[in-house]
Amino acid sequence: MRHDLSQINIEIECTYMTKGAVMPFCKGCGHTHILRKLDEALIKLNLNPHDVCLVTDIGCIGLADYLFDKVHTVHTTHGRSTAFATGIALADKVLSTKNLKTIVLIGDGGAMIGLLHIVNAALLNTDVTVIVANNFLFGMTGGQQSSFSPLEFITQTSPYGNIIPPLDLCKVAMSSKAQFVARKISTDKDLVDVFADAISYDGFSIVEVLELCTEYAVEKNKLTGKDLQRIAEEHDHHLGILENRKTRSEFSLEYSEKILSNKKTLDLFNNFINAENLEIDFTKKFGKEKLEIIIAGSAGEKVQSSAAILCQVAAQSGFFITQKNDNPVTQGSGFSLSEVIISSEEIFYTGVDNPFAFIIVSSDALNEIISQRLFEKVNKNTIIIYDESLEIPIKTEKMYSLPLRRVCSPNKAALGGIDVLLNLTEPFPLQLFYSEIEKRFGKYDALYKDNLIKILTEKSTK
Amino acid sequence: MTNNQRKIKLRNGNQMIAEGAIYAGCKFFAGYPITPASGIYKGMIDMLPHVGGLAIPAPDEISAIAYCVGASMRGIKSMTATSGPGWSLMVETVQYALITETPLVIAMVQRLGPATGGATQGAQGDILFSEFITSGGYTIPVLYPSNPKECFELTVKAFNWSEKFRIPVVILTDKEIGMTTETVDYTGLKNLTVIDRNTISANSTESNNWQMYEFKSLSDVPRFAPVGGKFKVTATGSAHNKNGELKKNDPETISVLIHLEEKINGHLEEFVDLILDEDKDAKTLIISFGITAKTMKEVIKISRRNNNKVSGLTIRALYPIPESQLKEISKPYERIIIPEENLSGQYRKLVHHLFEGKEVIGINKIGSMINPNEILEKIL
Ligand code: SF4
Ligand SMILES: [Mg+2]
Repeated sequence: MRHDLSQINIEIECTYMTKGAVMPFCKGCGHTHILRKLDEALIKLNLNPHDVCLVTDIGCIGLADYLFDKVHTVHTTHGRSTAFATGIALADKVLSTKNLKTIVLIGDGGAMIGLLHIVNAALLNTDVTVIVANNFLFGMTGGQQSSFSPLEFITQTSPYGNIIPPLDLCKVAMSSKAQFVARKISTDKDLVDVFADAISYDGFSIVEVLELCTEYAVEKNKLTGKDLQRIAEEHDHHLGILENRKTRSEFSLEYSEKILSNKKTLDLFNNFINAENLEIDFTKKFGKEKLEIIIAGSAGEKVQSSAAILCQVAAQSGFFITQKNDNPVTQGSGFSLSEVIISSEEIFYTGVDNPFAFIIVSSDALNEIISQRLFEKVNKNTIIIYDESLEIPIKTEKMYSLPLRRVCSPNKAALGGIDVLLNLTEPFPLQLFYSEIEKRFGKYDALYKDNLIKILTEKSTK
Repeated sequence: MTNNQRKIKLRNGNQMIAEGAIYAGCKFFAGYPITPASGIYKGMIDMLPHVGGLAIPAPDEISAIAYCVGASMRGIKSMTATSGPGWSLMVETVQYALITETPLVIAMVQRLGPATGGATQGAQGDILFSEFITSGGYTIPVLYPSNPKECFELTVKAFNWSEKFRIPVVILTDKEIGMTTETVDYTGLKNLTVIDRNTISANSTESNNWQMYEFKSLSDVPRFAPVGGKFKVTATGSAHNKNGELKKNDPETISVLIHLEEKINGHLEEFVDLILDEDKDAKTLIISFGITAKTMKEVIKISRRNNNKVSGLTIRALYPIPESQLKEISKPYERIIIPEENLSGQYRKLVHHLFEGKEVIGINKIGSMINPNEILEKIL
């Protein structure tokens, strides 16, 4: 066995096929034609052996890899060949030499089980050529009907004739925006040229080749090679080159032009938080070493990003934080909830057992808190800051009903609640919070100070 | 308390897996959205173009992982990410990567199963499912970080194992680790070692000695040749000999199949990743991983504060099971507690036999995290 493909001189060898290899197929099988024509097409294109990769599927056609010992071969799982080939081609064209020609050999069975892979390779327009050897049935497993069997076709599993119409794969490929699509017959004189055109096409190409499984299709259906054209016509499956355009560029060109062009420097070890070295002891100040805060509102009202501002500022003040977000599966509706923990020591357990405060700014939020039974964890010291429109079903010694939605607007109600909480409890100096707000929304005073804090002062003096 | 020597960012586990992958030299990612793993996909989409890499949306998880295997065969470090439902679809191709000795990292962020289960709920229900997915029972190394910083570290390790041994490696986490944002201290992350696969040099002249799946000893790792390079790749998902040729009832082919497992068996020490927090006088050892290991640390903190003695062992590499280490470490203890956020104590059942003569207690539940008190009350 020769391993160094760069030493092979195709002009001397005159074939990419394995010397002396015997075709493993039954007498007259269309696969033999197809593979010989593929070899001729490669010779016509005079490709460097190491720039060719044959990716084979399962089934009789999948025996092809050892018949080609002068190119790379990847024999895959059933139907997946096009997907593996897509990965190979993408990596080559975007990240490597860009010289590789990746060719899939797949049967009709594989084409159907892996239809999605063909569709997506076509949509991507990556440089893969798919050759579908369509003999209308599963040969290797004994001649069962496939999704490509013609109507009335007799197979092992359609003894009374097939009643399910065959797929028009070329139409599927065309509707997947494939730009080189052909349906040929294995004995067509120009098959070599069509294969060569498909392979040299810079982008996705597919050639479906109609052929006969002499072992299982011929006798039962009284077929000869001449019937292939008739079968295609009867099902309105057009023959010939059905598409050959160049209006889309190959994937890697699109990718470099539209995505890689946005390239910036990426440094994972940059932009750390400038943490203050504040010696604040929560245990002394609040009687607990960590502050567990539940912030809840409605989806789309910036609840989680407001909680993130709180975390950012706490981290800048030198604290450890955790933030856990929750929302319904449909992210854009219903409640939105963040559980924030702030601690002067590393936080291990991230559950909330002993809430320091709740900030509740909408009825979605209140309902969710009730249904998650979070109020069961409340004690008399838990601070509850909530929108004036809500009826809170429990009582603590620190309840603050505030016009959060009205004064701050629904989108900043949660942030307003956080502002109130921080002003109320001052877990760390508030200057960092104010400047963070200013950085994001402009002047802090204009947002809250004039109204919310005033209301709050009135309330607490009451 | 805290100080400004720490290099702090706010990050969740998913983001740190993505960053770890970038650090490890991953240049190809194919993704399909799934809660709670989508953050990894998003992270790779955001970062890969800036290192000249390619992150691509796949139309399903089967395509995602197959694209990654293809890219890896071309010589590119590749990763995909999913959760239980997507992992179900990937199982076929993980085995293909294994038999073709293709390096590949799969991040799997657990959610509540079975089937669609609870998309936004955490669980540790895939402890068995992440591992026992191959026909033939081959070992898939599984790393399980217990916080975002470890997500970075162990993703780098997953790539290193995968590259060095040419195997698929799973980085397993859970919704709580993946999606909870924390203060992450990057100290030390910049110095992690990165290993690349042993690729046969393009200048090598030993073309006729080289074999696709060469090994002398069964546990040797063959040198890699990329598709598209000058050495002929003959890859196949079928049982094959050292040249990659399909052969039935052939002793060499059987030896290749044995070699696939021996690559791991012959290097067991390298696959051990345990962190023992030992109290010499303790009677109880808690063994845990992932989110439960975090809770265990809380338990240890509370216990020691109250002068109760307890030891804790965090398993960061679940598979291959570190059997001899578990036996040795557990020796001094009377009671072993293994909390897991699943119904039946999946890992406990696998390691129970290693703790002969000891009392082995599982703490198991689904639907919410295990609370420190549930563990505390079981400590001797
Ligand atoms: S079974 Fe059919 S497809 Fe297979 S080799 Fe024989 S004739 Fe060809
Ligand atoms: Mg067929």
